[in-house]
Amino acid sequence: MSVTKTQAQAIIGSICWSCKAPVDGAHFCASCGKVQPLPVGTDYFGFFGWPQKLTIDPALLEDQFHKLSWKLHPDNFVRASEEERNLSLDRSSQLNDAYRTLHDPISRIEYLLLRLGLRKEGTTKQQAPPELLEEVFELNESLDELREARAEGGDIDALRGRLVEEQSNFKEKLEGVDDELQAVAREWDAALDANANDAARDALLARMNEILNRRSYIRNLVGSVQKELE
Amino acid sequence: MGRTVGIDLGTTYSLIAHMDPQTGAPKCIPGPYGSTLCPSIVSVADDGKILVGEPARERLLTQPDRTIYSVKRLMGRGVADIQDELTRFPFRIDETSSNVIRVRLGDKLFTPPEISAYILRELKTWAEKYFGDTVNRAVITVPAYFNDAQRQATKDAGRLAGLDVLRLVNEPTAAALAYGLHKQKRGHVAVYDFGGGTFDISILKLISTSEGDIYRVLSTNGDTHLGGDDIDNALMDVARREIRAQFAVELDRHGEAVQELRRVLIRAKHELSSSEKAVVKCRISSTQTYSREFTRAEFEDLIRPIVARTMAPVRLALADAKLAPKDMDEVVLVGGSTRIPLVRKTVGDYFQRAPHCELNPDEVVALGAAVQADILESGVKTMLLLDVTPLSLGIETMGGVVAKIIPRNSTIPASAQEMFTTGVENQTGIDVHVLQGERELAKDCRSLARFQLKVPPGPAGLARIEVKFLIDANGILQVAAKDLRSGGEHSIEVQPSYGLSDAEVEHMLEESIEFAEQDFADRQLIEARTEAEAILTATEKAFRDPRSAEISVAERRSIENSVASLRAAMAGKDYKLVRQRIDELNQATTNLAEILMNSALQTALEGKRLDDV
Repeated sequence: MSVTKTQAQAIIGSICWSCKAPVDGAHFCASCGKVQPLPVGTDYFGFFGWPQKLTIDPALLEDQFHKLSWKLHPDNFVRASEEERNLSLDRSSQLNDAYRTLHDPISRIEYLLLRLGLRKEGTTKQQAPPELLEEVFELNESLDELREARAEGGDIDALRGRLVEEQSNFKEKLEGVDDELQAVAREWDAALDANANDAARDALLARMNEILNRRSYIRNLVGSVQKELE
Repeated sequence: MGRTVGIDLGTTYSLIAHMDPQTGAPKCIPGPYGSTLCPSIVSVADDGKILVGEPARERLLTQPDRTIYSVKRLMGRGVADIQDELTRFPFRIDETSSNVIRVRLGDKLFTPPEISAYILRELKTWAEKYFGDTVNRAVITVPAYFNDAQRQATKDAGRLAGLDVLRLVNEPTAAALAYGLHKQKRGHVAVYDFGGGTFDISILKLISTSEGDIYRVLSTNGDTHLGGDDIDNALMDVARREIRAQFAVELDRHGEAVQELRRVLIRAKHELSSSEKAVVKCRISSTQTYSREFTRAEFEDLIRPIVARTMAPVRLALADAKLAPKDMDEVVLVGGSTRIPLVRKTVGDYFQRAPHCELNPDEVVALGAAVQADILESGVKTMLLLDVTPLSLGIETMGGVVAKIIPRNSTIPASAQEMFTTGVENQTGIDVHVLQGERELAKDCRSLARFQLKVPPGPAGLARIEVKFLIDANGILQVAAKDLRSGGEHSIEVQPSYGLSDAEVEHMLEESIEFAEQDFADRQLIEARTEAEAILTATEKAFRDPRSAEISVAERRSIENSVASLRAAMAGKDYKLVRQRIDELNQATTNLAEILMNSALQTALEGKRLDDV
């Protein structure tokens, strides 16, 4: 009997590959203790058995990370069969990937948008937000002046001072954007709790995406000023 | 079954350690010279015999063109990488080398993993002699900041030495493990590892869980070409400059005088750790002797820039861990160069606390490797190491820009999936270039591998190949591809940019096994002949003893026959036959030996009263 691909995928994660007992996506088979492959489509939230909520207690996440590391790390499988060694390598790398991604509140949101198809990896829009255009223009001007003065050996102290001031203005804005993002993230969690409809959810995702783009733009700006100042 | 060991394959010295079942503590195994340190020096004798450690070190002076030290600097590197080293190290690199370096020793060429394998094999022999048992599995340590190619080269060396490498462990992490056993501390630990050729800094968090202790590396940084060697070179520069000024002599880079000069300068460097001054004397020709005194202040001025270079990685590692110097609960010093007072002071000042150096800085890494080897071997886990990848992994995208897919300091194993498709119609292959490093452009990062994903011709964007990049627990990259349209595995052939291909390692392995068998047979023959000489001498002596007249003529003839056949066997090359003839002679002389023994006993008892006995 041949198994079709979809059937095979359905079987992965539902019954144990070794003893055929039901496993229901668990890391280990409750019956024979063997490490299990990750069911297709499990995301990083699901890896820890959590819903796609953006508020995560860092202490709880770290505790889960350590507990699962203890069980899943390849150290435990040095003497196991090749199949188990590979499964452990897969599971423990996914654990580390999941921890790394969820640990940081921003990358957590980026990941959620990626999973839900609102973002593509490495395609963050780098467009100046319209309301910032004027200040961005001024900042770029200061940057140019500093570079020029440096090349010609002019007095750079005053220019540096102005740049530092402008940079701190943008740093403040970055903090504001972060607060804004976290507020929408909390709205998202509430929407999940309230079983909100797709349209409401999509609106929240779109808002987070827009804020992320803005954030990325300001962050790059602050970064490039930093590089120039150092 | 064989034993499992931990090995510190160092730039200057290498060590082998095991978990002592009696004490439950790790222990370094000494070699034939009584020291646990095996100089990482390999020399090829005129007859092709390979000498390792102390005997090779002696030949550094007499046969410099057949002897190599600090080969670790060449591991996993290409010729273009080491141009700078070549001005300072007397490596004889073969002109035909490109992405795998070949070193000339006498009339033969060797790759760095082969040379390292000789060092590993020597250590393996030490341990086998110590255990009276074979050693076939090992945990080997590498600098935390080693890249993929350097790690792969180390693993290849292990395989070539006949070792199943259970794990590569980062040196500072191994040290933390040995240190943690010793102190049972919790909190943040900085491990500052300044060795002979490499510098590493690792920031760890020690966590106590209900299951056991976790040693989690938060961040690591370093310089794989910064170590005591650089201090030696700075001293050499001074001395050579002065020799040039004083005697108008330019020392030959490969000559004996240079090696002698290096030796006396290293001795002075060691002295300056405990005394305020050291005298250097070196004969550079039959009539000329270079002589000068170094004060500690002068030495410290000379090496201050080198010590300062270690602090940039320290700052970066702390920044990546999002911690400040004051957040460290402990600072641990590892590596021979941390014996230098200026190094201790610099580190202590920066962290505002006295660094720990209770454990022997030379042995601590090997001890930690032995602990990890024991955990992996016994399956009894008392602690867990969670290490990180030191460098970001990326792939080259349009315009030679690198897209990072696994950031540095990610806990390993770590993975990333990337989707690849075709950009133009009827494209049949997609080129993938994998790199490691922090820079923006591919040309500034370390190339790890290139491969091509083959796809059937079709419209652009139709092919969907998912490539999984996985950094395993050794910090070594594995790549697998899946065709998402067919759902099948997609085979790829990854050509490493540096280092040996699997086929090359296999080939060397076959050769080395033959070679090792020959080696083994040679050694056995030498030992058997030595033993035969001893028993022949004893037999002759017995015949000269007047009491030997007590044995029968037949017995005497039988012994004489055995002696003759043993001598005949000794002239041949079959060690098993020699052993067999030794046994036969032993049998034939049993009675004679007893007679002599009894009479010897009588002689000893004569003149003594029974009460005295």
